[in-house]
Amino acid sequence: MNRGLLLALLAALAVALALRVPQLADRPLHNDEAVNTIKFRALWEKGGYRYDPNEHHGPTLFYATLAWLRLTGAPGFVRMGEADFRWVTVLFGVGLILLLPLLADGLGRGGTAAAAGLTAVSPAFVFYSRYFIHEMLLVWCTLLLLAAAWRYHRRPHWGWAVLAGAGLGLMQATKETFVLNLAAMVAGIAANWLWVRWTAPPGAPRPTPLATVRALISPAHLAAAAGVTVLVAVVLFSSFFTNASGPLDSFRTYLPWVNRAAGASPHLHPWNYYLEHLLWFHPKAGHWFSEAFIAGLAVVGAATGFRRRTAENAEPDSGLIRFLAVYTLVLTVLYCGIAYKTPWCLLGFWHGAVLLAGVGAAAWWRAARPVAGRVALALALAAGTAHLAWQAWQLDTVYATDRRNPYIYSQTSESLLELVDLVRGVAATAAEGDHLRLKVMAPDSDYWPLPWYLRQFDQIGWFDGRPADPAAPIVVAATKLDVALDDQKTHFMVGIFELRPQVFLQLYVRRDLWNQYLAKRPKPAE
Amino acid sequence: MNCAHHRIPVRRLSTLGLLAAAAWFAASATLRAADEMVPLLLKLPAPMFIGTPKDMPANPNLEKPSDKPRPPLLVPKDVRNLASSATLNSSSTNATQASLHKLVDGSKEPSDAGTVLLRKGTQYVQFDLGAAYELFAIVIWHSHDSPKVYHDVIVRVADDAAFTQNVRTLFNNDFDDSSHLGAGTDKEYFESHEGKLVPANGAKARYVRTYSKGSTDSAMNEYTEVEIYGRPPAAP
Repeated sequence: MNRGLLLALLAALAVALALRVPQLADRPLHNDEAVNTIKFRALWEKGGYRYDPNEHHGPTLFYATLAWLRLTGAPGFVRMGEADFRWVTVLFGVGLILLLPLLADGLGRGGTAAAAGLTAVSPAFVFYSRYFIHEMLLVWCTLLLLAAAWRYHRRPHWGWAVLAGAGLGLMQATKETFVLNLAAMVAGIAANWLWVRWTAPPGAPRPTPLATVRALISPAHLAAAAGVTVLVAVVLFSSFFTNASGPLDSFRTYLPWVNRAAGASPHLHPWNYYLEHLLWFHPKAGHWFSEAFIAGLAVVGAATGFRRRTAENAEPDSGLIRFLAVYTLVLTVLYCGIAYKTPWCLLGFWHGAVLLAGVGAAAWWRAARPVAGRVALALALAAGTAHLAWQAWQLDTVYATDRRNPYIYSQTSESLLELVDLVRGVAATAAEGDHLRLKVMAPDSDYWPLPWYLRQFDQIGWFDGRPADPAAPIVVAATKLDVALDDQKTHFMVGIFELRPQVFLQLYVRRDLWNQYLAKRPKPAE
Repeated sequence: MNCAHHRIPVRRLSTLGLLAAAAWFAASATLRAADEMVPLLLKLPAPMFIGTPKDMPANPNLEKPSDKPRPPLLVPKDVRNLASSATLNSSSTNATQASLHKLVDGSKEPSDAGTVLLRKGTQYVQFDLGAAYELFAIVIWHSHDSPKVYHDVIVRVADDAAFTQNVRTLFNNDFDDSSHLGAGTDKEYFESHEGKLVPANGAKARYVRTYSKGSTDSAMNEYTEVEIYGRPPAAP
């Protein structure tokens, strides 16, 4: 690898870690992050994981977390912290930069370096690298497939075919939406084929689609890649051959997900939802947030792939750029067209834009003349990159739970942490300690992420409504249930806390326990 | 008659009796030990996994904490709002006289322009009524643009500006005394357009302080309006 590129990648890695690691545990766990941690608990403590085709996506996240926590000698589940889990997605987010050298002769060295820098500072990629959900793993597995396939294209070899197969298997075992990436890849390959036919000089051979595929990959290598794909998917979906229905469930899952995509979901948003969040997000007074800088460079980068005359073996490779351009466009259209939208889904197509933006920045750099033009361009690129990094930092710290942050969605309120501190404080002064009996009740089990935050208690009951006997020494109840234990003069209602915007919980503590807490607790800080 | 088959096996019975007694003592001892030591472990329902919850929009007042209108407070006919002519100051160093005036300007709309933002932590607004009055009600509107609950809402009255003489607490929902003004027993409540009405029951005082310590929505302390209803005390 070229020394300049190596230095650029190392610098990008350093910036990526500097933006992703600080204050990793500060933002309260989102509902989905907490669900993932508690599902992981069974795997950690009992070695059990069973794929659920109805919800919660694939097994890769859980097994990757298991490997990471075993490797780092993590303590017992109760003593783990939020950062222990978020490190997993941080590593996959940073891992995107580590895979880029495999594409260096396709994106060009300058394009690769710029793509690494933009990956490091893109606010969306920084924010969701710190989010313990499946999305960053899906992007990483997709890049693994693309990079291995590109290397195979440059020099066909068993190893690259097998690695690409593994990437595809991991994609399937990460999230059901991988089929959209596959569809966009097929569209990218098809568009490239059409472009080559269209621009071929008169009299040049015009290969059929089948001949093109045969030229791309040998049947033996294709069989090996397919075999590894199936093997990886079966191993993970079957929970290492302990759940026979897992592999079949990985196909059954499309029934509920297709229904959701068609509209049976609370997450329906207009077609421009992702674009608004990425390009110009300014819902009310305060800062506006935008990654339009990346979008602008991506357009420039995509355009370089459609020039008619390019030198043989030139960097960047116009075939790869065309593929990326069509892949990104088709994936964007697919995601925008599906009514079901959650903001982290944008990472899939936005990663294509980041790669193209790297190519665009490098192309601009090559075209800039004379020296004054390069200086001006360097300043503009530095300013744009610095602005992205500043936004990423703001969104991770100041706006981590603020609705003005384009990437938060049903975010847990910081108010919930006050409830958790109070429950822990009361239990600490009770004779039963962590064996104290608690009841948590909310319609439709809408109490997450409390199962994570109250994981230390072994006598805790979770109810999806008001139980026949709601009383317990400590009761956490949705305000909608109107439990009113304080009316019985047995409990105090010691506070109302926000779980998420518009969702509130009341905390009831038995009177003797509360009085004991007030008497015994450490003096609150001034 | 051969009575050998009907002879009572005294030694065997004695042995059995001793064994039974020993078992009873052992069981009793075990039960006593259990009474003292073993916690009752119940089988309670485990949490149910749910999918991504709906992202609620910022402001619609979807969750109504109470549909019941507030019962009217009976007050003497000659009370008036004393807050509008009071001198205001605050523990929050960012509050200016101009900004504090928004608390008594008669506007209760929770707009950005009409809301006073006090710093984080326990902060108060103090009203100097100019003379001692007989107080009957204090009504507080924090920001009520969305359902939220302010913490450590405390209303106190006193005879001096430093709150050292004849200090009385009219309302306090700081259950855990995190504001260090004594633990209260009043309940937390949702903000609404009605404001929070605190009865003053004819307390005589010149100074009024209203405290809060952030809300479920923000660590900042927001105020829209405060009204203090009272009348001059009857001549002695």
